Amino acid sequence: MRARIALAGLAVLALTAAGCGAGGDESSIVGKESLVIGVKPDQPGLGLKKRDGVYEGFDVDVAKAIVGHLKGAGLLPEDVTVRFMDAPSSDREKLLQSRKVDFIVASYSITPERKTKVAFAGPYYVAHQDILVRQNQTGIRNVRDLAGRRLCAVDGSNSDDRVQKERGIPITPVQSASYSECIEKLKNNEVDAVSTDDLILAGFAAQPDNRNLRVVNARFTDERYGVGIHKTDIEGCEAINKAITTLYQNGTIPKLLNKWFGGTGLNLQDATSVPQFEGCD
Amino acid sequence: MTMPLPSPAQTAQPNAPAAPAPPAAPPAPATSATPPARGLLPRLPRLPRRLRLRTVPARIRAWTALTVVAVLALFGVTWTAIDDATEGLRVIGRTDGPQVVATGDLYYALSNMDTQVANILLLGRNQIGGGREEALRRYEESRNEAGRALLQAADLADDAAERRTVRELLNGLSEYERLAAEAMLLSNREYVLGDAPDSAVVRYRAATKLMRLSLLPKAYNLTLESGSNVRRTYEEQHSAVRNGRLAVVVLGVVTLGLLVGLQVYLAHRFRRILNPALLAATVALTVLVGLAMGLLERAAEDMRVAKEKGFNSMLALSRARAISNSMHGDQSRYLLDRQEADTYAQVYLDKAQSVLYTPAGNLNTYYQGLSKAAREYPGKADFLGFFGAEAKIADDKDVRDALAETIKRYDGFQQQDRQLRASGRVEHLMNDVAERFREYDDALVQLTRIHRRTFDAAIADGYAAVNGWNYALPGTIAAVVALIFVGVRPRLVEYR
Repeated sequence: MRARIALAGLAVLALTAAGCGAGGDESSIVGKESLVIGVKPDQPGLGLKKRDGVYEGFDVDVAKAIVGHLKGAGLLPEDVTVRFMDAPSSDREKLLQSRKVDFIVASYSITPERKTKVAFAGPYYVAHQDILVRQNQTGIRNVRDLAGRRLCAVDGSNSDDRVQKERGIPITPVQSASYSECIEKLKNNEVDAVSTDDLILAGFAAQPDNRNLRVVNARFTDERYGVGIHKTDIEGCEAINKAITTLYQNGTIPKLLNKWFGGTGLNLQDATSVPQFEGCD
Repeated sequence: MTMPLPSPAQTAQPNAPAAPAPPAAPPAPATSATPPARGLLPRLPRLPRRLRLRTVPARIRAWTALTVVAVLALFGVTWTAIDDATEGLRVIGRTDGPQVVATGDLYYALSNMDTQVANILLLGRNQIGGGREEALRRYEESRNEAGRALLQAADLADDAAERRTVRELLNGLSEYERLAAEAMLLSNREYVLGDAPDSAVVRYRAATKLMRLSLLPKAYNLTLESGSNVRRTYEEQHSAVRNGRLAVVVLGVVTLGLLVGLQVYLAHRFRRILNPALLAATVALTVLVGLAMGLLERAAEDMRVAKEKGFNSMLALSRARAISNSMHGDQSRYLLDRQEADTYAQVYLDKAQSVLYTPAGNLNTYYQGLSKAAREYPGKADFLGFFGAEAKIADDKDVRDALAETIKRYDGFQQQDRQLRASGRVEHLMNDVAERFREYDDALVQLTRIHRRTFDAAIADGYAAVNGWNYALPGTIAAVVALIFVGVRPRLVEYR
């Protein structure tokens, strides 16, 4: 009899184990008790770590709104703890693959190469390469007007190549170490224009002491900002897509864009409808 | 077999004086009048006689009952697993799956409407490539198709956000039609080919912006969303079937063990070699478990093939086709609206790269990278995008050949695009470019058709596997239970 009981017990165990396997997927962000979200630490307007260690910016607010929606939809526990951490551009794929962060909202462009390593929910915003000039500079309206001008060229960025090499517009590149340095040079009349993603430019222009700068709305590329997530977490990716859809439908994302980038000259009228998603698989 | 034998009470064999309990007997030997266990559990209330299994008939009854319960449980898990398989096949193969693919047509229809309006403006009253009437006919056709696909999408929308998207699409579509109608009206006059009046172009600019920034993304996301519902159902049903199969194996082994145990016990107790009814029940059950396992394996595999080799590719390729069509429309818009030409060239490149990605910052580099990819495939496939994903899963020759042909024709189309941008001539667009696009589109449809066949075959095979089981399973189980009773009853009768 004991042997039989053992056998029956084994059967029950096997069935229970089999039953459990069907439901939960422990590798998804859905249902996690605590989340780590990667954001930029040094991008004013998008993701900036303040002196007290608190992160702020459009990306940070979008991340919070996504978490809020997931909680409301019952996909995250009400008392989920959220921690933000630095996600520098060069480490983003690594952070996701090693599961050091659960997802990344850090002006992270969706590209086919990156998609071989990570998955993307969204885009939550389609950024465009754009041009930042001094308020009184009226001669630059589109990318062709950069011909013969001094354009800031940041080491390790291909923004100037996109103007010079890809579009064949002859510019005078002025090397700089960072975009912050470019902004200083622009204010000091050492360059005529700075060109990179519109939100990055608008983030700088929105700072109180940069009010004499404005975004031109030249828009000559599409940079689709996605929410990076582990490649196998299709469930989490689809849940975030649903969140982004709702955040556009209820006007949250347009409102956040206005909060962070309003008054910089950046045209936000075209960003009121949800962008075309990349798809999670 | 039912020859009268000495009753169990008289079996005082020299080598088994106290009727040795079977290996798994309860602690109290049935023939012993005073259970030795009593001393260990003095305070427990006495159990009813039958439950204490002290006598041989009580044990036989208990064992039989346990066996029948196991048989019924086996019936339950097998039934559920087959039901899960049928449901999975139904959702992927008959209802949601094909419907999701149909909503993919929404994007195609919408982008084709937009292309035809651009063509109408380019043409004016000039008669080239079918002329205004033909473009108008295609516009109407696509509008009807969009309406149909939108109804499908409304039917599939299963939460508030999706329903709202459908509603926004309906509203947006009527706004688009209004703008398009104005633009077309303003262009209904004599002018040089490609030189539409500014008023018409301005109106069209607003229409196509609405299409590009609002309607097309929403249509695309709707298909993605309902596709993700199918994925979820598939994963639930597929793992339910696999777990069900495991449950059938485990319960099958347990039940067969009980049946064999009963057989052995009776043989030992009643000095019979075989109980034919129980033997028949055992054989029937063995066959049943074997067949059920095979069937569930086959149904799970059919579901997998239908989903991964059929549905996924059908959906991805229908997206590639829709995006290609809207790329073709960007060529018209590029020629029509010189002010926005840079934007249309840019979105053209972005779309081209989502179809087949090769690193390129401008169209010229792209044409070169694409030609190289087309030359090398199928020997080498280092490109990404929709065709890259397709190349990755193309493991049979049919698909590889069809994909190679598609990429070759896609390259042909792009080489025409290079010439079009050099010439800037509307005639070129309406004749050579349109011709190459049709060739490419046909090849893409052929490739999709291969996946459609794989999909249909897998679904049909899955249905064939589960067909008839709703009768065979309960029938066999009823027969097995009857056989168990037939086998056990005469033994119990001996005690009356």
